[in-house]
Amino acid sequence: MELEFKHAVLDNGLTVIGEINRTVESMAAGFFVRTGSRDETANVAGVSHFLEHMMFKGTPRRTALEVNRDFDRMGAQNNAFTSEENTIYFGAVLKEFQTPLLDLLADLLRPSLRQEDFDVEKHVILDEIARYQDQPQHRLYDKLMAEHFASHPLGHSIVGTAESITALTRQDMLEYFDRRYSPGNITAVVVGNLDWPAALGKIQESCSHWKPYEVSRDLSPAPAAGTARTIVDANLAHQNVGIMSPAPSAQGDDRYAAHLAATILGHPTGSRLFYALIDPAIADEAQMTYDLLDGAGAFITFLACAPRRAAEAVRITREEFRRFMQDGATEAELQAAKNKIASGATLHGELPMGRLTAVGFDWLYRREYLPLAKEIDNYFAVTAEGVLEVARRYDLTAMTVLGLGPAEAI
Amino acid sequence: MSNGLTVVGEQMEQVSSAAMTILVPQGAANDPSGREGAALVTSEWRLRGAGDRDTRRLNDALDALGCQHHEDVLSELSRFSTASLGRNLPAVLEIYADILRRPRLEDATFEPCRSLAMQDLSSLEDEPSQKCDLLLRERFFPWPLGRSAYGSAESLAGLTAPAVRQAVADIFTPQGAILAVAGKFDWQELCDTVDRCLGDWRGPAPQRVQTAPAHNGAMHVAKPSAQVHIALAHPAVVMSDPRYYAARVAGTVLSGGMSSRLFTEVREKRGLVYHVSCHYHSLKDQAGMFTYAAALPAKGQTTLEVTVGEIRRLGDGIEAEELDRAKVQLKSAVVMQGESTAARATALAGDWYHLGRLRPLAEISDAIDRVPLEEVLAYARQFRPDRFTVLVIGPEPLDTGTLAG
Repeated sequence: MELEFKHAVLDNGLTVIGEINRTVESMAAGFFVRTGSRDETANVAGVSHFLEHMMFKGTPRRTALEVNRDFDRMGAQNNAFTSEENTIYFGAVLKEFQTPLLDLLADLLRPSLRQEDFDVEKHVILDEIARYQDQPQHRLYDKLMAEHFASHPLGHSIVGTAESITALTRQDMLEYFDRRYSPGNITAVVVGNLDWPAALGKIQESCSHWKPYEVSRDLSPAPAAGTARTIVDANLAHQNVGIMSPAPSAQGDDRYAAHLAATILGHPTGSRLFYALIDPAIADEAQMTYDLLDGAGAFITFLACAPRRAAEAVRITREEFRRFMQDGATEAELQAAKNKIASGATLHGELPMGRLTAVGFDWLYRREYLPLAKEIDNYFAVTAEGVLEVARRYDLTAMTVLGLGPAEAI
Repeated sequence: MSNGLTVVGEQMEQVSSAAMTILVPQGAANDPSGREGAALVTSEWRLRGAGDRDTRRLNDALDALGCQHHEDVLSELSRFSTASLGRNLPAVLEIYADILRRPRLEDATFEPCRSLAMQDLSSLEDEPSQKCDLLLRERFFPWPLGRSAYGSAESLAGLTAPAVRQAVADIFTPQGAILAVAGKFDWQELCDTVDRCLGDWRGPAPQRVQTAPAHNGAMHVAKPSAQVHIALAHPAVVMSDPRYYAARVAGTVLSGGMSSRLFTEVREKRGLVYHVSCHYHSLKDQAGMFTYAAALPAKGQTTLEVTVGEIRRLGDGIEAEELDRAKVQLKSAVVMQGESTAARATALAGDWYHLGRLRPLAEISDAIDRVPLEEVLAYARQFRPDRFTVLVIGPEPLDTGTLAG
């Protein structure tokens, strides 16, 4: 697969990057804004995510319904998501729709934020918050992040609360927008079968008038609470447990070793936790992931089990982590984890949508372009010592444990 | 092949992966009476050792090949899906031959598999949106075609290793099975490998499921949930019906993109919900449109009424512009799914299962293009639902008097 990387910076600071792949029929584009719930103050909790919704509500050139129609007219597969630290607006289309897609996405990024749309959309957000209340894992994730990062901004809830959203005003949102959506804080990413000069030209035409200003982010080191407690909810039938511990940041060179460690310990099949918990049916879910963040990172493990087995499942998990820090991984385990990751990245990378996020986040976090093949090489270069080292340095047993379910004690 | 297994494939030169989907005609609906859940437990049990390998060695072998895999149980099928680098496909297939033909199904590994199914079933109580969908299917399709793969707590509790083993021996068969591959692979090599690994696989003739009329009607499950979860189903044509493309275009006008009727009227204009959508699902001889919306309880009744109103209103008229948008969306989805080896393998297997032939991507695009507005409208009128099968989970029941008959 012949790939070509492109990079440009507009006068106002907007970065544009591209990865050209002529073997596919589609292209994908996204505007990656370096902002999320960690960049909010408590009185506007949830504004990043609410704003993400409002961005689809029209611009001086388009009403909300016209925005939706224009996406659908191109057959775009489009969406947006907000995390603790990034807000992404993206779409994938057949290559002939490259210019209209970029025109629409760029237009979205300078929204009208009309009061009447704000009022209607507030109801949608409140419904979305209620929706997550009916999803125990989602509820647990929200509470676990808050617990683990304690008072650090990374512990802020992405969607906010019914109270914070109800109290939020359009003025609050405008102020937030004017603080975070500077072109210097945004990266436009295009991947797939694309016409680079046309893409860059279109983005220049659409975005050059965006006014730049200073944007900053609190990057103070994130604490790790190391607490253990449970939220008792007698209305739940099943027990959920979340476990977090520190891990390398998105900028850390040891992030490959960390991803391998999480795969060896907590991949859904054939991992240490699989054999310790799923194989004997002590838990029906035991999955560990490595979440890399800006200047911080976390290993996150989710367990689900019958309430009476929760304490046992947590004890076994802790014991597996302790044993791993002592003995590390076998060569066979390491090789298997490398194969799993390489295979997953290859499949993901065959689709423009899959490459879009990979290329975008490499740039957002490290100002770096990594072709897929190079990224896979980086995983294969990690040694068993490297994996052991990362497990020990970040101390897997420095766990924040939070239960959610009927069990009184975990 | 002479044993009744069909092998289909599509080569994709631009990729390095190959995805495989194997459909075997043993689904949840084939579970013997009183042994509901047997197919689901079996799909887990098969991975606990097969051929010369115990659980650990089986996992190790798949991991060594970087094989992503997934097993699930549908109404009338068990499905085995894999994805790996194309060069590893023959080795993956050899392992799957063991999983299909020589699972160990040992007493010692049975109990954990049954226990996992019971835990999954229990966790569904905490996921009202999923539970809603399962209960709706049970009531919509002729019994037992929509029956939940989990069976019930009672039926799972009653399963024994010998009984499940017997069910496998009685039902699991290459006759009517389909093996589909998409991606980077060599067709001749695939055929040779299938011949070597699965050529002498033998099994009984597939059983036809005896069906009884569906329950339909409306049902409310009381639950102190934050939202009221509303699921509706109404009949549609099956994939082999000449009106299939008209049905898909009509469904896309109703609930394709963000400018579709349901999204626009229920969410964008009224702010009633975060999620409302409708999707098409086809079994071999039955198909339906499945609508789901969830709202704060105080808005449940309005959400239900606006949603149903939009579904019924479709036959009143469709603008040319709406039709064009729906067609572009469907065609674009076809091309983009065609770039994913996993999606393509699933689609090829589905084509063979439902139609007995494969549809090239260009054929699907052309067929979508050719559907005239009148046909879409005629379809929407013909299938305008008087009655729905309705499932509501939430604190209070909704008034479904005009919906369920």
